[in-house]
Amino acid sequence: MPRGRGIFDDVVDLAVLDRIIELLDAEEESTVNTSMRLPAALRDAAALAVYGLGVASSTTSLTAAALRSVLETAVMAAGLEAHYHEHPGARPSLGEVAIALAGQGGSPLADRPDLIEQAAVDVTARHPGADAADILLWAEAQQAITA
Amino acid sequence: MRTIILDNEAVQALTDPAHRKHRVVVAHLAGVVASRRRGAQATATVPTAVRVEAGWDRSAPTAAAINRFRVSDLILNSDTANLAAQIVATTGVSVADAHIGSAARRSPATEIVVLTSDPRDIVLAAAPKVVTAIRI
Repeated sequence: MPRGRGIFDDVVDLAVLDRIIELLDAEEESTVNTSMRLPAALRDAAALAVYGLGVASSTTSLTAAALRSVLETAVMAAGLEAHYHEHPGARPSLGEVAIALAGQGGSPLADRPDLIEQAAVDVTARHPGADAADILLWAEAQQAITA
Repeated sequence: MRTIILDNEAVQALTDPAHRKHRVVVAHLAGVVASRRRGAQATATVPTAVRVEAGWDRSAPTAAAINRFRVSDLILNSDTANLAAQIVATTGVSVADAHIGSAARRSPATEIVVLTSDPRDIVLAAAPKVVTAIRI
């Protein structure tokens, strides 16, 4: 998450977070014309995608859905970060998140947490920015090679 | 689209940082975030009957932290209540598990994952819908 107002020294401003959640949960049907400026080509691409690809019922709904999705993800991540700040022991390791993903996706490695934990160690040694999906993919690939 | 459904035990673990399974459930929510950051449609949900059983009152000040995890409610409406009643009658599972089953059966999600202390009851309640029941 980019640093900005609402995040100070990686600590989430809970008042800001709670206000965003309140706004996301508001059952408000009214709409507003915004002063946001979009690149014209992006706007035209969105309009064409609505018309030609049927990705949404309107450019407005496409924009709103995309915006909501990004905000929901950011809020969820910020909520977890706030929790980790208060309870450092609650932060799962990258390997533990990869193990969770393995279970959710029905990975053949779901019952081999040892292999996933080792993969987390191996992958992050060379790629510190790897995420949980990277770890799982690498572990599954290693398993396929040795099978 | 993947939906993660929490059962009573998963909620208990999530709400209590001292719970021995707390980090496991948090890891699953972190997995949802990781999936969403890669563009996948993934959500975390809780049937309202499970919230009742677990004593999760969203309006309580003590629920502020858990409310920030964006675990959305699966409402027990007329249709899902009827289905849940049928599930209870035919399987004998608890009301909360029956709500999980009815929510799973009605869900448009292509992948349904339930974090549960009792995978057998969840699979029974959700059948014939296929769910991934992960024991926590």
